Amino acid sequence: MLALTVTQRILKELRHTRRSLIFWALFPSLMLLLFGLIYSGQDTQTNAFDYMAPSILIGAAFFFSCLGGPIAAIVAERERNTLKRLLLSPLSGASYFMGVLFAFLVVAAGQTVIVYGIAYAFGGVYRGSLVLGALVVLLSVASYVGLGFVFGSRFTKRTEEVNGPVSAIGVPLLVLGGTFFPASMLPDYLYRIAQVNPIFHMNEAMDAVSAQGLGVAAIVDHLVFLALFAGVTQALGVQSYRAMLQRERVL
Amino acid sequence: MTAVLGVDRVSKTFGERRALSELSFTIGRGEVYGLVGPNGAGKTTLINIACAVLAPDAGTVTLNGGAATPDAHARVGVASQEVALYRDLTSEQNLQFFASLYGLNGEGRARRVRTCLAEVGLEDRSDTTVSFLSGGMQRRLHIAAAMLHEPHLLILDEPTVGLDRESRHRIWRVVRDAADHGAGVLVTTHQLEEAEALCHRIGIIHEGRLVAEGSMDELRRHVAAAELAIIDAGDLGAVRDRADQLGLTHRTALAAVAVWLPERQSLDRVAASFSGIELRSVTLKPVGLEEVVAELTGGRQSEG
Repeated sequence: MLALTVTQRILKELRHTRRSLIFWALFPSLMLLLFGLIYSGQDTQTNAFDYMAPSILIGAAFFFSCLGGPIAAIVAERERNTLKRLLLSPLSGASYFMGVLFAFLVVAAGQTVIVYGIAYAFGGVYRGSLVLGALVVLLSVASYVGLGFVFGSRFTKRTEEVNGPVSAIGVPLLVLGGTFFPASMLPDYLYRIAQVNPIFHMNEAMDAVSAQGLGVAAIVDHLVFLALFAGVTQALGVQSYRAMLQRERVL
Repeated sequence: MTAVLGVDRVSKTFGERRALSELSFTIGRGEVYGLVGPNGAGKTTLINIACAVLAPDAGTVTLNGGAATPDAHARVGVASQEVALYRDLTSEQNLQFFASLYGLNGEGRARRVRTCLAEVGLEDRSDTTVSFLSGGMQRRLHIAAAMLHEPHLLILDEPTVGLDRESRHRIWRVVRDAADHGAGVLVTTHQLEEAEALCHRIGIIHEGRLVAEGSMDELRRHVAAAELAIIDAGDLGAVRDRADQLGLTHRTALAAVAVWLPERQSLDRVAASFSGIELRSVTLKPVGLEEVVAELTGGRQSEG
């Protein structure tokens, strides 16, 4: 229940400021349009928007909202001193974490509608199971938010440092995850490294469901990896948040 | 009477530094207790321990006569020195959020939010985004957020720092109202005039020890004077020498000398005692908390 209170508060703040929501809608839209139009000229067999929509959703939409968003949210709590107020309230670390996760699931749902709306407008088709697609989205968002919690509570102290972990660690993972070009183009040794990259599994799973219309059997390995990764990052995220509260225990 | 806060022989050490040493006091229902003392005296450490943010090395803290459990702490309201609000939300949305954290919902929450906004004089700013409120209004809202769940114990750390006179008085009124409704209030402040005007009892903390506590009348007994004569003169040394000759205690106070008068005297009689010295001004004033604190903490600038 308290988690939903946190969710409502984050969504109200996002609605008030609007800037983040606009950029989180604009960036993936432009990326999808650009990459869709670029690849449309090269492949006449399939609609480029079919296979660009899943990777843009994972790599351009969720990456910045669900990874960068929680980092910024935690840093802002610390800078506004509200973290100390939360610390003194009955709100638990786990409830706070779930509240942030739910808020970014709502944001992710909105981004999914926008990205697939644009893809549909350019002839793209979503071929797979909606439930399976929602499961991939859920695990992807949970992984990003967990990772965001770890970065936000351990490595980022001020607003100006938010872009550091996102750029230094996140962007290489995007490239290695096959966001902007198929992972099959990677050299063998990089492809093997990509197997431990969660973004690779998000992209592969979403592409299989969305563009190829495959079922759960085809993506079970990716789902297991993402479930494990989401579990580990969420446990680490909550633990990092608690450790941060211990450090902040001075009024 | 059950104390809303009981602090019993609490000690805390950080490394080599002893922040608190066997400190004890209680706060009753409806009582405003002021904690004053110089920077680094241990006020904030004590507040952190009272809020269960820090654990004491020794001693105990009780809330409402019982153990300081998480449930008991849910009835404590704290407003830290720094304003802690969501700047992109409105006043009302901030209070709604903080009220929800304490289990208030629906119409009960709406009513409590309206009441608290009215108490701090922000009822007409309920829809204003916090970042558009003045510093004084933000601080008032910050204090309202600590009072939403009608705490038994309200802890305010420097609640009026940096505020103008009107905002300060508004906050004093809020604190008095909270006490009138039965809450115990612990206030730390550097503004001794504020503690004097606001608090039923005052504790003076120095180097981690409570060196004195009591009502203002009780505290005045630590200064052996019925009244002070603040004397400004061209030659302050001559004023000090004359006070010595008269057997009067004196302290340097800014650009004047404060002479302790053992009994109340007229201005003329005081001036006559210093005849022959070119006096610029002589003012009589009652012994205040400032003199008591200076006397007990060695905070006086110099002694004659």
